[in-house]
Amino acid sequence: MVRLERRLPIRGSPTNPRNARAVAGVFVFACALLLAGCASFWPQTAQLAEGLPPGLPERVELSEVPFFPQVEYQCGPAALATAIVASGVKVTPEELVPQVYLPSRKGSLQIEMMAAARRHGLVSYQLAPRFEDLLRELAAGTPVIVLQNLTLGEGWHYAVAVGYDYPAGKLVLRSGETERQVLPFAAHETFWKRSGYWAMVALPPGRMPATAEEGRWLSSIAALERAGGASGARVAYAAFLERWPDNLGAAIGLANAHHALGELREAERVLRAAERRDPNSAIVLNNLAQTLSDQGRDEEALPFIERAAAAGGPHAAAIEETRRAILERISRKK
Amino acid sequence: MNTAWARGICRLLIVLMALAPYQVAQAGMIGTDQLAAPASQAERDTVLNFVTRGDVARQLQALGLDPADAKDRVAAMTDQEVQALAARIDSLPAGADAVGVLFLILVLAAIWYVWRGGFR
Repeated sequence: MVRLERRLPIRGSPTNPRNARAVAGVFVFACALLLAGCASFWPQTAQLAEGLPPGLPERVELSEVPFFPQVEYQCGPAALATAIVASGVKVTPEELVPQVYLPSRKGSLQIEMMAAARRHGLVSYQLAPRFEDLLRELAAGTPVIVLQNLTLGEGWHYAVAVGYDYPAGKLVLRSGETERQVLPFAAHETFWKRSGYWAMVALPPGRMPATAEEGRWLSSIAALERAGGASGARVAYAAFLERWPDNLGAAIGLANAHHALGELREAERVLRAAERRDPNSAIVLNNLAQTLSDQGRDEEALPFIERAAAAGGPHAAAIEETRRAILERISRKK
Repeated sequence: MNTAWARGICRLLIVLMALAPYQVAQAGMIGTDQLAAPASQAERDTVLNFVTRGDVARQLQALGLDPADAKDRVAAMTDQEVQALAARIDSLPAGADAVGVLFLILVLAAIWYVWRGGFR
């Protein structure tokens, strides 16, 4: 005690052993905080650092992906054009401005980015919010649009990931006015995390995302079909059924796409196969009856629509309407 | 150990931590999208959609689009997308510009500092 008091005048100097110990303690504590911080700030990067996920190459760069430098605020059209052109469809950012850009928000919404790609015959797919999935799409040769936030506020920004270098821990992007931006995984994650790891790909209908999940990929194809892309949807459903042959929704979708394109024979063939596999599906029975009726084969259609009506369920009203139309056609023929 | 650096990093981490809560987280043919929808729900959706597609097109017009563009844009959306837009078009993020240079430098500095040894 006495000695300490004697040293009072120089307290605060780094040579004071007690003070040095305190500084060291604070330092260790800060390091611990920092390390704990790393894991929580960049959880996916930390996970990736544990090892390259199986099946992925160490380095990928899709150097053939084009670059459209953005003009003011218009990273949405620029990023979308990058992905669309990489999928083999000709388009310019200027043509996409009226399709995705919102003048008074000075930006583009995620939903509109997804929707606009469909207008060019592509299937938009939102990736699962996983860094690994982003790398898998790149490894499969697909550029990925990501939504980042580079500021402390509303600085949302679309960029297109086109490659990575795993040993160096770096991601390569086309971003804004930079043709080849190289960001450490952790930096990208910091910006990307704030959008909830939002990422999308836009693929030609015959190709499937490397990370496609059955249900969500089916919805993505149905979205293209709904947006008027029946011929694209037909191709996409057929590819889907090669991978998941038992998916009833995809069979119904394929038949509907054929029907919309006037290919009634093909629609019938698909629906008959689906009916054999799933004889109690009211939708399959209804659509098969409609397809037969549209070929003038109303008598053949009748037993199917009766079965659909007997199955009941949530589409009873639509089925009853089909049944009435078929009966009317039959009575008109007599 | 440069204490000015440490202080800088600490401040940055505090700012980042404060930001954490803001993370955003045909005639007669029955369509594929109807597969999972229960009847009353399907009907309610149809009625709702009739309203919301027009609503969303009007909202887009209010944000500076001409009517034809707004209509085309809504036509390419799914029902869920239309409803999501109708509910919160003003609060959804709009990707715009790479303006966060300062933030970028801070983050890069922090990452360089912490992971000097490289990724692995």
